[in-house]
Amino acid sequence: MKIKLSSILKTVGFTCAALLCIYGATVVLRDKESEYKYADFFDRADQIDVLFIGSSHVINAINPAVLYGEYGYTSYNMGGHGSVMQATYWELIEALQYTTPKCVVVDTYLMNKDYQYLDQMYEDSDEEDRATSVAQLHLNMDCWPMDKIKVAAVEDLIADKEIRKQFYVPFHVYHNRWEELDSNDYKALTGTADRNPLFGAEMRYGIELTPGIYPDPEDENGLGGHTVGEEYLRKIIDECQRRNIDVMVTFLTCSASTEDKRVMDSAEMICEQYDVPFINMQEMGVVDLYTDLNDTGHMNAMGAIKATKCIGQELSEIDGITDHRGDVAYDYWQQRADEFYGTIYDMAVDSESIYQQLNYLSGAKTVSSIIYINDGSQAFGDNEMQRLLHNFTVTPKIYHTDGPYILINDVASGQFYEACDGEVLDGIKTSLGTVHYQPVEHLFRLFYTDEDPETNLLYDDSKSDYDIQIITYDAASGEILSHNYYKSYGSNYTQE
Amino acid sequence: MQFVSLAFLLLLPVAALINFIIPRKFRYIWLLAISAAFYISIDLKASAVMAGTVVVTYFAALLIEKVSGGAEEKRTKGATALLVLAVVVEVAAMLIFRSGKIMGAIGISFYMLKSLGYIIDVYRGDEVAEHNFLKLALFVSFFPQVISGPIERAGNMLPQFSYPVTVDFDRMRDGFLQMLWGYFLKLVIADRIAIYVNSVFEAPDTISGTLVAIGTVLYSFEIYCDFAGYSAIAIGCARILGIDVMKNFDSPYMAKSIAEFWRRWHISLSTWLRDYVYIPLGGNRKGTVRKYLNVLIVFAVSGIWHGSALTFLVWGLLHGVYQIIGFVTMPLRDKVVEALKIDRSGLSHRTVKTIITFLLVNLAWIFFRAESLEKAFTVIKKSLEFTPWVFSDGSLFELGLTQGSMNIAVLGIILLIVMDILAFNGVEIRDKIIRQSIWYRWIIMIAGILAILIFGVWGAGYNAASFIYQQF
Repeated sequence: MKIKLSSILKTVGFTCAALLCIYGATVVLRDKESEYKYADFFDRADQIDVLFIGSSHVINAINPAVLYGEYGYTSYNMGGHGSVMQATYWELIEALQYTTPKCVVVDTYLMNKDYQYLDQMYEDSDEEDRATSVAQLHLNMDCWPMDKIKVAAVEDLIADKEIRKQFYVPFHVYHNRWEELDSNDYKALTGTADRNPLFGAEMRYGIELTPGIYPDPEDENGLGGHTVGEEYLRKIIDECQRRNIDVMVTFLTCSASTEDKRVMDSAEMICEQYDVPFINMQEMGVVDLYTDLNDTGHMNAMGAIKATKCIGQELSEIDGITDHRGDVAYDYWQQRADEFYGTIYDMAVDSESIYQQLNYLSGAKTVSSIIYINDGSQAFGDNEMQRLLHNFTVTPKIYHTDGPYILINDVASGQFYEACDGEVLDGIKTSLGTVHYQPVEHLFRLFYTDEDPETNLLYDDSKSDYDIQIITYDAASGEILSHNYYKSYGSNYTQE
Repeated sequence: MQFVSLAFLLLLPVAALINFIIPRKFRYIWLLAISAAFYISIDLKASAVMAGTVVVTYFAALLIEKVSGGAEEKRTKGATALLVLAVVVEVAAMLIFRSGKIMGAIGISFYMLKSLGYIIDVYRGDEVAEHNFLKLALFVSFFPQVISGPIERAGNMLPQFSYPVTVDFDRMRDGFLQMLWGYFLKLVIADRIAIYVNSVFEAPDTISGTLVAIGTVLYSFEIYCDFAGYSAIAIGCARILGIDVMKNFDSPYMAKSIAEFWRRWHISLSTWLRDYVYIPLGGNRKGTVRKYLNVLIVFAVSGIWHGSALTFLVWGLLHGVYQIIGFVTMPLRDKVVEALKIDRSGLSHRTVKTIITFLLVNLAWIFFRAESLEKAFTVIKKSLEFTPWVFSDGSLFELGLTQGSMNIAVLGIILLIVMDILAFNGVEIRDKIIRQSIWYRWIIMIAGILAILIFGVWGAGYNAASFIYQQF
């Protein structure tokens, strides 16, 4: 049988062209969530000193940009949504193929989960939960190339051979994304797709107004020592110690249930067995449950700043973790930290809600503020509002007045000034100028600076029915950045 | 292993390559080996039924040939008794194992008809019995056809095993294109439409009338794309392996009458029923009434062959009744056409006939698809409710298909119709493509591959593995 050379060449050429096109299609169609999260991990794996691993609690509570900004420590947030301990373990094993950190910080939320396979979960788990569990694993797994570790991980986490296929060949599940493609999907072809600017972290900006408080467990036996979660925490510690990597175990603040408190007890016991530090942030009072949670389970950005600073303090006691600030090789980290603080600056100047704005103003480093609440405002009956204002001052004044009330938070001088009822503020030195405040009558008050006595900043005839005003000004230049008016209806607020 | 599986797509090129390089005289052994592996990979237990069928068929044919004493004297009593015995055994096996009550045997309805056809051909003296057991085994179990046909004739297949053709790149390319079209029909159109159709037939009484009517039309395309898709894959696959398999579909929805529809739909079954049921019953040689009765019997057999539920029988009989009405009213219709001076060859007349035929076929498919007669009548009743606002109030996209997905389905159906019109008018698309320059050819083929991979309904969350006709 004669085989023409040209036919063979054509077949090879066609196969190559077809494979190239199929590869292009897989790049465009694959879900970008995992790539988005880990793009900087792969690019800067050699610079990473600390790895944070765990569930979505870690994603939202630990901000590597803040850690770098505050301490100069390089870190990556490897947390996965719904990531149970066994998924976290494999995430670590995959990551350690690319980087050798000086410390691994592992969070123990979800350690109480006592099932091996994510596609089976418990016997009584419903199909929707199982499907979500499998879908969430894609964030952890999609970014890693197909190799024997990935095969081992998938076999350990997924029981159903059919479902495993979608992790080995993600196109199996993503080929039908054609209806949801956007420009970012096509950018992946040129390697310019969006990437997570916070080194794996995700910040949330809401405020949980009613976090639950749950009783402590009746005993301190924890989970009993034999859950799948506990087993994998031990494996994580073992793996790190085997590689001479420091380990730190945490339980990050949330509206912890009684079961979560058992997790804390168990984590503490395991840490004692392995002689590794356990940071139970829940008991440290670092994060305010009433202002720093986005929802009952996850911190908001302000909570994350506080939690990250707390962890940074703990990390500073570990040998070998160094401050890289000022090193040009680490400029990218500084740039990302600056960008994040820019976001907080923007949120402080203008937010979607008054709660958010007050929260971010209380943590802003470069934005000063003047908060005025007229007498009779329903804000004085709003505990959340009072708590947020209390965060600025730590004085009880806001709790004992019906207004009018004024608070000047002058960041440049590090001072705050408040007055209520008929009290006046006279000759206050701020970066805005030398300020004078005097209440006159219900709809009229004086607020001006010596530098511009003609401008009454807290009075505008057209906005007299707004009972709350927030003025922000740049801490350095004194330039007014925003002037927001709010109307209170119980604990609901509408913005102008 | 199924046609729609990664394993099949990876192993076929390997099988084709080995088939390509081994000496021609041994090729049937290789084809038998992969056919056996294919069937065993689907169902090991059912392989025993298949093996039994091969043994019965092989020895029945040999014995019939032996007791007949010569090609000219086949119809001896002994031969007839052997034939009856073989037919009874195989039909009984088909009914028993198809029901799955003792054990299921995938594809049994198809390979059993092949076997029966072969035995009858030997009995009639149309074929000589195959003495090479392996070749006969390959004829019965040839993997591209074993699950859902086409129901081939020994006269076409056995000589190809003994005198294989040269497998060249042109054949491979042609087979590849045919397979590509088959996968497109199955994965992009049939399995997509199935999502909508399943919603409609699951609870027709809860769905708006026009949506149900659309569902019935879509089912007509679903079953066509599903089965014609399978056939195209099977024929293409066989072609790549150097075997020419008979055409199974020939633009059936272009038919202008029910009789013509059956000359174009599932051709291998229609001709089998014609040759082994209708003609032995006397066909149209024994008077008009007997002809009508024979037609009804053939379609009843066809219905029962498709399934034991009453709905299949009604479907079959409905087609029989359509044909009889067609015969009876022919003089009247001729007179009307003459009186109105309608040009029979005119496009409008042909189009009207095609549409009417499609609607009649569409009505019958409702019985074929519905789980019960009651549900079928509910679907028909609901279809007559006119609720055109479903096109603008968004409810069209609440039955499992998004707007984008529905657009793909509609575009796919339009492409199918265009291809069928071209084929109906004698334009062979694959030839046209193959004759294009390399760049156009590559672009078309790669676009086809990408369309199937991207728009195909497969992978996680879908069960695209089974073909509708696989159950028969």
